[in-house]
Amino acid sequence: MKCVIEGNGVKVFGKAVHALSRIGNEIWLDPQEKGLAVRTVNSSQSAYACFCFTPLFFQQYIPDPDIQNGCEAVKCMLNMKCVLPLFRCASWKERRVDRCEISVNIPNSRVIFQFHCRHGITKTYNLGYQECEALQAVFPAHLCPNVLMAQSKLLGDIVVHFPVSQEEVTLSISSFKVTLKTFCEEENNCIKGMNTELMLHPDEFDYFQVGEDSAVTFCLKELRGLLSFAEPYGLPVNCQFGVAGQPVSFTVKDMTLEAHVVLSTLTDPNHESPSQPAPGDDCPVNVTNTSTAEITTCESLWRQRKMIQLHAPGEILPKLSLIPESALTTPVTPATSKIRSLLFGAVYSDGGKDKTADLPSLACASDTEDDGGTEE
Amino acid sequence: MKFRAKIIDVGCLNHFTRVVNTVSRLTKACVLRLTCDHLYFVLSGRVATGGVSMWCELSQVNFFDEFQLEGVSADANEIFLEVAPENFSRALKTAQNAKSVKIKLTKKTCPCLTLAAELPSLSSVSRVVTHDIPVDVIPRRLWHDFREPQMPDFDVSIYLPPLKTMKSVVDRMKNLSNYLVLEANLNGEMNLKIETDLVSVTTHFKELGNPPWGDDGSQSSSPTHRDPDLMAEARVDIKKLQQFLMGQQVNPSKAMCNIVHRRILHLIFLHEDVSLQYFIPAVE
Repeated sequence: MKCVIEGNGVKVFGKAVHALSRIGNEIWLDPQEKGLAVRTVNSSQSAYACFCFTPLFFQQYIPDPDIQNGCEAVKCMLNMKCVLPLFRCASWKERRVDRCEISVNIPNSRVIFQFHCRHGITKTYNLGYQECEALQAVFPAHLCPNVLMAQSKLLGDIVVHFPVSQEEVTLSISSFKVTLKTFCEEENNCIKGMNTELMLHPDEFDYFQVGEDSAVTFCLKELRGLLSFAEPYGLPVNCQFGVAGQPVSFTVKDMTLEAHVVLSTLTDPNHESPSQPAPGDDCPVNVTNTSTAEITTCESLWRQRKMIQLHAPGEILPKLSLIPESALTTPVTPATSKIRSLLFGAVYSDGGKDKTADLPSLACASDTEDDGGTEE
Repeated sequence: MKFRAKIIDVGCLNHFTRVVNTVSRLTKACVLRLTCDHLYFVLSGRVATGGVSMWCELSQVNFFDEFQLEGVSADANEIFLEVAPENFSRALKTAQNAKSVKIKLTKKTCPCLTLAAELPSLSSVSRVVTHDIPVDVIPRRLWHDFREPQMPDFDVSIYLPPLKTMKSVVDRMKNLSNYLVLEANLNGEMNLKIETDLVSVTTHFKELGNPPWGDDGSQSSSPTHRDPDLMAEARVDIKKLQQFLMGQQVNPSKAMCNIVHRRILHLIFLHEDVSLQYFIPAVE
């Protein structure tokens, strides 16, 4: 893979890396035909972010100069701590950097970042990478009953009322209003801190669709990265979500890039889906060979954070009816280098993935035992 | 017990916010005393705070458009609340362009001061942001701890030099010593002194002027034939003085200090509708 980003674009790319660094500790580079996808996931797999830069973004973009039939471009996983300093001091770099070349040296397992700066200075960074499958969050956007679109400035004005340290917030929607408020796990804990609630009228949003009244609780901290990216460019932000427990997605789109953040939300203990063991069961945990993402305890107030469903492109995912309800995602390890998951009743569909059907089947990670789906 | 108040004027809101910001920089927790005519932020001197105490008085009519109070009982028509001024400050911070700010005493899971600001919005309906600030109601039997401090029988009273100058001097002195001596006389002269084994530094201020106490009832008991050149001094923890100077957001129209020789430093800031008094005990 080789790509060249000119001056201003370097600043944008740097800001994207900053936004990603707010979420995860690793960064995945996934060169595709439609653009370079840069992704990250947090350690508990409750937050996922992806910036996809289209070929238009680059001065030059070659996904894989040595592409052979049936072989796709190599995907690299880098340590965020190594990449972030390259793009620090964005404004300073912007004045000095003419262009940045990113290329992958496969024999040496290195990603090379080369900054061509003013005064003829060239800075070259060789970062070691691990090859692995790319991740992609399963987010059935078409199944989301609730959609909000707003200018990033509006969202910035909304989140400014919440302290930067505030972790979780609850976004509620009904036909009359949209509310964002601080979330406390237990009522007693609220005595320590302040509770803040912001109420807006649907008219404030550029687009407002409420299919189902709901309240979703997610981590605000992880969203701030995307908002600080979008605000200087005045980009509108699209927010899609369903009921408590289903992930919420935030998307920012432009001609040259698309940024996508998916956050898991807390389940509502009062509305457990029938498939899960009801609270009050004697056996608190259904321990199988694989760890379950959902562990219900006997305390009915326990709220769980569902892990985001992630899958590697190239799998044809089984349809709704065939999937048993046991859930799992195996944690990412360098050894497995692949994340497998089962769906909870939604089929992932992505119109743009023409290539995936053609790819050879990929072996299952051997530690996923409850794989009820069929694979091509 | 009931309390509701409303601010409509942007200027009043900004001013009130600055006062709350100043208080929040002085202390992490204080008592908010509400009466029909005034609000007081009170910090009573305790060992835990190093003995400093604070009394900040606001005349409510100059800030609030509406102010309704029903105190603990008819003969004690006041409310005393323990609050963290930083929460108050944070709640006000993002409401600076609000059309109106309402404050009321509510009971959520615990007693709270609920601040509701009506913000300008893109639609015809205003945005409303509500902050619930947890408070503790102070029972009547403890009210005597939070009375207005008596004006001490001071030896010298003098106007302070420009705060900015004083602050930068104190900042530099803090690097050299933990204690500072403030001395002044009735001739308008003030010295800030530090002394360590290695170095002693003194900054002299002249022609500061002395406030003409006499008409107030809080007259110093010592008659006016004190030698005008005789210095009264107080040796104080420099951090406390620095903290007081650092937090100032309200530009006082009058800034003065009263010195009780070797006992107390009493700093007074007066603004049209706000007065702030800060007591720093002297150390040996």
